[in-house]
Amino acid sequence: MGKVKIKRKSTLIDMTAMSDVTVLLLTFFMLTSTFLQKEPQVVVTPSSVSEEKVPMNNFVTLLVSSADKSGKLEDPTVTEGKVFLSFAGDADSTYSSSKVRAMILDEAVAIYNRVHPNKQITLDGAQRAKFAGLNMVGVNFEVLPEFLSMPDLQRDKFQEELANPKVGIPMERYNNDIKNEKGFNQLQIWCQAIRNVAGNIDDVRKAGLTPEELSNLVTLADAIQKGEGIGVKADKDTPFEVVHDVFDNLQTMGLNKFSLMTALKSEDEVKTQQ
Amino acid sequence: MAQIEQSDKGGKKKKGAQKKMSIHVDFTPMVDMNMLLITFFMLCTTMIKSQTLSIVLPSNQKSDTKSEAKASEAITMILDTEYDDNGAPKFDAEANKTIHNIYWYKGVADTVNFATNTKDLTKNYLNVQSFVGNENGSRQGIRAILYDQNKEVMERYTKLKEQWKNKEISDEQFKDAAKKNAADSTLARPVVVIKPGPNTTYEGLINAIDEMNLNQISRYSIQMPNHADTVLLQHYEATHPGTTIIRPLVREKKINS
Repeated sequence: MGKVKIKRKSTLIDMTAMSDVTVLLLTFFMLTSTFLQKEPQVVVTPSSVSEEKVPMNNFVTLLVSSADKSGKLEDPTVTEGKVFLSFAGDADSTYSSSKVRAMILDEAVAIYNRVHPNKQITLDGAQRAKFAGLNMVGVNFEVLPEFLSMPDLQRDKFQEELANPKVGIPMERYNNDIKNEKGFNQLQIWCQAIRNVAGNIDDVRKAGLTPEELSNLVTLADAIQKGEGIGVKADKDTPFEVVHDVFDNLQTMGLNKFSLMTALKSEDEVKTQQ
Repeated sequence: MAQIEQSDKGGKKKKGAQKKMSIHVDFTPMVDMNMLLITFFMLCTTMIKSQTLSIVLPSNQKSDTKSEAKASEAITMILDTEYDDNGAPKFDAEANKTIHNIYWYKGVADTVNFATNTKDLTKNYLNVQSFVGNENGSRQGIRAILYDQNKEVMERYTKLKEQWKNKEISDEQFKDAAKKNAADSTLARPVVVIKPGPNTTYEGLINAIDEMNLNQISRYSIQMPNHADTVLLQHYEATHPGTTIIRPLVREKKINS
């Protein structure tokens, strides 16, 4: 009897091609991606037909939180209308985001200490450095030093607890006069700090530039002047009254030109989707 | 993982023949790792960048002089959003949108006559409309009304758009010309006052501003409803049984010191 020869076949699959494809995909995603910025609350912005893009640089975002959607809270509206700020500086490193943030923080703390001489706060170097690295911040000045000293995870968690009255920049004091510094509420203090810092950067950067260089340079102050420097981001179901409080404070602080962040919809799409 | 195999067939080899080497590199772990990275990047990226809508509000400084609009040009839109029993904005699942109503009137509110009820009330009546947008290629709802009011500007704008689509003018030229056209004081242009009622959602306001942009209305302002508007709304409620526009706030405003 002749032996039946069993052909041994190799089970190796050539993965080279597969690997090529995945690397290509990976490259694509790495190059096209802009990372999701961590925000204390995810808001669904309303859609509009406007096609202006959100600027990457020289942009201040004010996030207005919406009512709680998880249904865990007895009164979902306690989380509504909390304001968070995020700052983006120049694309080049002269006044990068972290530098601008540090400058705005120093200015804001200085104003706060003038407005509240009995409740002064001081920040150490580590806390200031931490703030410069944070994307979105919105806490009461009273807890700011403590907040900045927290470990990263704890800090994120703290800020996500929107029901906490210390979270969100308070704007309860009503004041509609920009000259009345003593009457500033905390949002107005931040706004004033943004204005001052933007003005200072503008002065420094524009000193001694030729007209041609000037026309190419866009600073935060320029962006604010044109109404492209400040964006308000709010949920579509938030009552306008709540958002109006923020608008009102911006108007008081002379930041009355600003953008509203929206998602895109087309002109014809309106009939099915709003 | 990577192996170099000697291919030997049957063991019989000629002396002096070179050994054939085949190199196999197993790419499976590499692919695994790449897939993980791809997943990571896919989850962490925002593909759609959000858009912005620019608005200019008047500054709060008291020195501002208020410019009064001519009665023939003025349109007032009082916005309102309907809410369901749970206190969430009412959602029309069929049309896939939240229900916003617009109570609008032309001209200046004649509240004296409403109160005394002596004159013909067909004038300055509140009309109700909603944000319908376009249907079958034609404007509907509030958009049609605003278009009619701004017809002269819009007709020129359509021509400009045509030129731009045919690449006769550049993007920038088109934008400049459209801006000039919208602000051309020789044309009959409306002045729109948007009044977001106390229960309006943020989306309602954005929709209203959107309509301004779509209809190339350059003169509009956002104001809070005043007493005259309340009178008009009360009158509307009285003449349209079953409608409630004036109702307690959905969100009670908390006043903390």
